[in-house]
Amino acid sequence: MNENPRLKAVRAVRQELAAVGIDPFGVQIDQIISPTEGLIDGRPTILAGTNNYLGMTFDADCIASARDALESSGTGTTGSRMANGSYASHRELELDLARFYGKRDAIVFSTGYQANLGMISALAGPGDTVMIDADSHASIYDGCTLAGANTIRFRHNDADDLAKRMRRLGDAAADALIIVEGVYSMLGDRAPLREFVRVKQEFGATLLVDEAHSMGVLGKKGQGLAEEDGVLADIDYVVGTFSKSLGNTGGFCVGDSADMDVLRYASRPYVFTASLAPATIAATRTALRKLEAATDLRQRLQANAERLHAGLAALGFRLGAPANAVVAVLVGEKLEALRFWDHLLKSGVYVNLMVPPATPGNESLLRCSVSAAHTPEQIDAICAAFGSWTGARA
Amino acid sequence: MNHQDVVAQLIELVTPIAEGRVAVITENTGITSELGLDSLKVMDLVVAVEDQFDISVPINALAEVRTVGDFASLIQKSAGENA
Repeated sequence: MNENPRLKAVRAVRQELAAVGIDPFGVQIDQIISPTEGLIDGRPTILAGTNNYLGMTFDADCIASARDALESSGTGTTGSRMANGSYASHRELELDLARFYGKRDAIVFSTGYQANLGMISALAGPGDTVMIDADSHASIYDGCTLAGANTIRFRHNDADDLAKRMRRLGDAAADALIIVEGVYSMLGDRAPLREFVRVKQEFGATLLVDEAHSMGVLGKKGQGLAEEDGVLADIDYVVGTFSKSLGNTGGFCVGDSADMDVLRYASRPYVFTASLAPATIAATRTALRKLEAATDLRQRLQANAERLHAGLAALGFRLGAPANAVVAVLVGEKLEALRFWDHLLKSGVYVNLMVPPATPGNESLLRCSVSAAHTPEQIDAICAAFGSWTGARA
Repeated sequence: MNHQDVVAQLIELVTPIAEGRVAVITENTGITSELGLDSLKVMDLVVAVEDQFDISVPINALAEVRTVGDFASLIQKSAGENA
């Protein structure tokens, strides 16, 4: 059978990696030891690329909740909520999320990716306009594709550029859906949310904010950048994930709109996929309760982020943003970044290698995600591994 | 703004991004097939076009664009809608 020509580009990248003998996208963690440590190629390795911001994956209370639900309700739901019915816990988690954000209602999706797909494609369709930040996550781009809406990119974090493009829409601007992220996953930079809220209000548009990388991390209660910037009440829809600060799998949207009642039924990624397993729901509910009170974890996370950021800056590395749970080292050329990434792994440190086109500015990144569960010694060990690299530094 | 004017301006914009891959760029030159622009370079071109013509180009509309002439037609359509 002939090779599918559509896979030509992917195949070329795989061959390029095979020629170098390094595969950054096929890493296998043979044993997971803790939220911050695993065994890779027989080597104890510090995990600094798993978005486990609060270290919730090994929380004893979350594990106990999951175990209880597993034993009482079984391993899975075997279907979608519309076809098979919801378990009571699905709805209870939605009510928990709505209360946590102080919003009217919530919808739980099976992944964070599907939350964006589901919300964007339910809120917009052919003939509608969606305005997205140029550095948006793939789930936002894919949601726009699924929606079939006119999708217009504005310059990253540039509210003036958004406003200019909104003006071009004329009367249709009031019907536009604006989408931004709280913290951008590649560089860890924050959106100027207050400015975006001003633009949304000027044109009477709808604003959706993805807080995947800021929920649990920012704000006194961990509600994210919207809480920290004092604009949560001005945002129509907040999308988030269970797979980062909450240490599990799944996604959600909260909002004040009266449409929340019907949006889920218009969302194909909600309707046509299996619902989350009872153990996942139970552990997530426990994690959400703990996240809200986890001021100590947020402080530890920020202290770790500042320690890593300062350590890498002192070594002369170029960093993507001020100290945050995501600390991205800009490495420049792809092959050099690949070798640097491999050096870190062999030094016992796992980070994410990010290469264009997934990265902004056509530049490769070594992306670290910091956890509250990292010890200061682990942070210092990460810095030492970066410091031992003798190749080019960008 | 007639079609040939837009094509001429577009060729000026795409020439530095194409980095000399094709000696003579015309209305019929394929943007990805001949000029070899990858997704990032296409987005660089879109940004340059948006600045030059003071328009917003919907990224979903790019799926129909194969040649420089196709893109010029899209620019004219977008400019008409913005006017």
